[in-house]
Amino acid sequence: MGFVSPDPRDNLPATWEGQKTGLAMARMILNRFIFMIFAGLLLLTFLFCLFHAIPGDPARLIAGDSAPENLVQSIRVAYGLDQPLMTQYTTYMAKVMTGDFGLSNFSRQPVLQIVGPRLLNTAKLAAWSMLLAMTVSLILGCLSATYWNHPVDRGITAFSLVGICTPIFVTGILAIYLFGVHLRWLPIGGMTTWKHYIMPVATLGLAQAAGFTRMVRACMIDALGRDFVTTARSKGVPEHVIVFKHALRNALLPIITLFGLGLGHTLGGAAVAESIFNWPGLGRLMVDSILTRDLPLTQGCIFFFAMLFILVNLIVDLLYRWADPRMANE
Amino acid sequence: MKAYSRIASAAALAASTFLSAPSWAQDAKPQYGGELVLTGQLDKTMFPGRNTDAGGMDVYLNSCENLVEMTGDRVIHPMLAKSWTTSADQKKVTFKLNEGIQFHDGTPFNAEAAAFVYNEALAKKFLYVSLLEGLEKVTADSEYEVSFHLTTPSAALIPNLAYRTMCIFSPTAYKAKGEEGLGSNIIGTGPFIQTEYTKGEYALFKRNDKYWQKGKPYLDSIRILFVPDVSTRVAMLESGEVDRAFGVPDFDVPRLSTESTLKVNTLPSLQQYYVVINNLTKPLDDPKVRQALNYAIDKAGIVKSVFAGTGATLSQAPTLTPGVFGFADMREPGKDTIFAFDLNKAKSLLKEAGYEDRNGDKFVENAQGTPLSLKLWTRKSGKGEYQIAQLVQSFLEKLGIKVELTVLESATFSASLSLGPKEAKYDLALLGWTIPTADPDEPMMYMTHTKAWKPAGANRMFFSNPETDRLAELAHAEGDETKRAGYVRSWMAELLKQAPVIYLPTSNLTEAVRTYVHGGQYLPAGTYVGSSAWIDQAEKKKQGITR
Repeated sequence: MGFVSPDPRDNLPATWEGQKTGLAMARMILNRFIFMIFAGLLLLTFLFCLFHAIPGDPARLIAGDSAPENLVQSIRVAYGLDQPLMTQYTTYMAKVMTGDFGLSNFSRQPVLQIVGPRLLNTAKLAAWSMLLAMTVSLILGCLSATYWNHPVDRGITAFSLVGICTPIFVTGILAIYLFGVHLRWLPIGGMTTWKHYIMPVATLGLAQAAGFTRMVRACMIDALGRDFVTTARSKGVPEHVIVFKHALRNALLPIITLFGLGLGHTLGGAAVAESIFNWPGLGRLMVDSILTRDLPLTQGCIFFFAMLFILVNLIVDLLYRWADPRMANE
Repeated sequence: MKAYSRIASAAALAASTFLSAPSWAQDAKPQYGGELVLTGQLDKTMFPGRNTDAGGMDVYLNSCENLVEMTGDRVIHPMLAKSWTTSADQKKVTFKLNEGIQFHDGTPFNAEAAAFVYNEALAKKFLYVSLLEGLEKVTADSEYEVSFHLTTPSAALIPNLAYRTMCIFSPTAYKAKGEEGLGSNIIGTGPFIQTEYTKGEYALFKRNDKYWQKGKPYLDSIRILFVPDVSTRVAMLESGEVDRAFGVPDFDVPRLSTESTLKVNTLPSLQQYYVVINNLTKPLDDPKVRQALNYAIDKAGIVKSVFAGTGATLSQAPTLTPGVFGFADMREPGKDTIFAFDLNKAKSLLKEAGYEDRNGDKFVENAQGTPLSLKLWTRKSGKGEYQIAQLVQSFLEKLGIKVELTVLESATFSASLSLGPKEAKYDLALLGWTIPTADPDEPMMYMTHTKAWKPAGANRMFFSNPETDRLAELAHAEGDETKRAGYVRSWMAELLKQAPVIYLPTSNLTEAVRTYVHGGQYLPAGTYVGSSAWIDQAEKKKQGITR
């Protein structure tokens, strides 16, 4: 009498497993996109309420401090700011549904037209910085864990602590004066050539790498102390294989989560780096639009920032499934 | 009809009190070619009717020109208009225009185009429309003659028309693209044609080969990089990425001045700091109390500690700065500024008003024993505003007045200072006023006149004085410059008696420019005329700048 499987699905062909995984993945992506839409609408509503709750008259800011009231009133009428709040809200949301985020109060250009290129520029800065931060932190974190309590570990720890403690604007300005003004190796502002990328990416990426390195080190020390590593060592597996194949793969799950969260931090830091290096990104635009009470533009900036963040979290989840196949079926 | 020479002579009279233009403005033998790279700041639209910031003017003045212009020496010169005359009743000013000029889009510049722009400004309420107060309409009398019709005579019309934001853009382009279109692509008659613009990054202007002033401009192009961070601007200048940085921090000036490749230029601006005094609240309705507040502030101390001794200049007159028409030195003999610091005098004035320290707690009280306590509002913005407010607080406390300093967020501050007399909640508020047209009409009629109380005008003090109102109205309508200057002087003298605000120093403008750049003019209004600049190519190469 042969073995009877307790679960009929165990008898299904192997391709079904693949289809099932693909289906779960597609469902998750679809759910996330639906979530993105709702989150976006909720966010816009929240921002709308917030901007109207805080003091400050956008029409007054457009007209200038000294402008007479009749001029301010004419701007209110022209920009629809004299309408009841509910009318303003429904008009705005109806337009957003059609992809029209309105015109900037100051530049009078469509918000999408302004935000689009800026979002791309910030994404470029954040992506390169994250790539640098991940590469550096994985290498240094693994080295640090492998040489635990060795001078190499102490040196890397010192680098991490200095990096964590030094704000971006300090390292940025130091880099500008060293590499831009004195040595004249690198350009300071803008993003015209590949050379323009070096300082902002390095400043932002290395600051992020400093924090990541500590976490990678901790995860790797934990993984290298596990039984399976001892077993591998006793079987004579080379140390580099143990570190990079066995231990790192197991330490990856928390590290991926960390990188995902870190990207949010990088996007925040990008606003500072963008100001220092005159990088025409979304962070700088958002800060300017908040200070000038440019409501349509601020809403646009925050909305796309939030969407970018949600999208990145989706990618992190997908990476999670890649790193740990057990997650794929959940 | 009176010839414009009369006005020009008045402008020259005013100019005699003005600072001279930067020394390198007179450098000889201009060279052609090259690209001038400037730093700029354009937060708003490029459309002149909706952006009156100096940063906006720096950009659009390369392409857009006025009927008349005020140069670095602050003299009014003909520009698109070659001459002008005023009617006997002074209610009509007629300009004769230069002929054969075209806008960059090929539209001919003529009286119809000029009339269209100003009539549109009145109809659509462009931001500068308050400066055209009394202007009824503009008519094209012939192909090259345009008339401004006024309801009441206005001596301020000509200087106001020199205000850069009143430049004449192409009516064809405006009709086709609207404000939004011109907001990113300005089309005028100027020496440069705007060819590229990316918001928040840069604007590129190429030489207008058909420019109507023969032989100009000298440069092939002007590139303006928008760099909001001042430290980055300075670093980019030092590294040679740009040729000019504006708004150089006062504490950087000594270091940059020692650089052989840089020229640092500091000039007084048209902006004077002041503390708004709410003249409706007691006891601030008493001129003696307001004078006491003025005498209690050590203005020289403010210049030294907040502006490193170079970033501001002690004020010589109330409200008006050197260079504004009718400006006169109103300081008491031997004093460094108006209301020169004198704590004893301040205390005695306060005592005359009924306030003195009656219980030995170092704070003054009135006869009923109520201490004098004031609310001072400020914002963390501008050049050292918060630091000035802190000093004002400490100076007034030395006088025995309790001062509660509140720092408001910029937009909130602006909204709170725009309320009418019944809603206004401040006793004191730190602000700055600017007279970009270099004419006293705006401060007289719009900042201190009773009719200009907020929210209608810019009189936040709710100051009302029949004598200053009368003098302002006389000066507004007076065509004779000597008489007008007399009214302005009397008005300033009356302000010193009334002390409607606490008068503080006048801020300075500071720029740093590469030494190979010549001919550019930094105007007291804060704008930079790069269109007249040229580059010494050999010197540039010598400095290793290869871009």
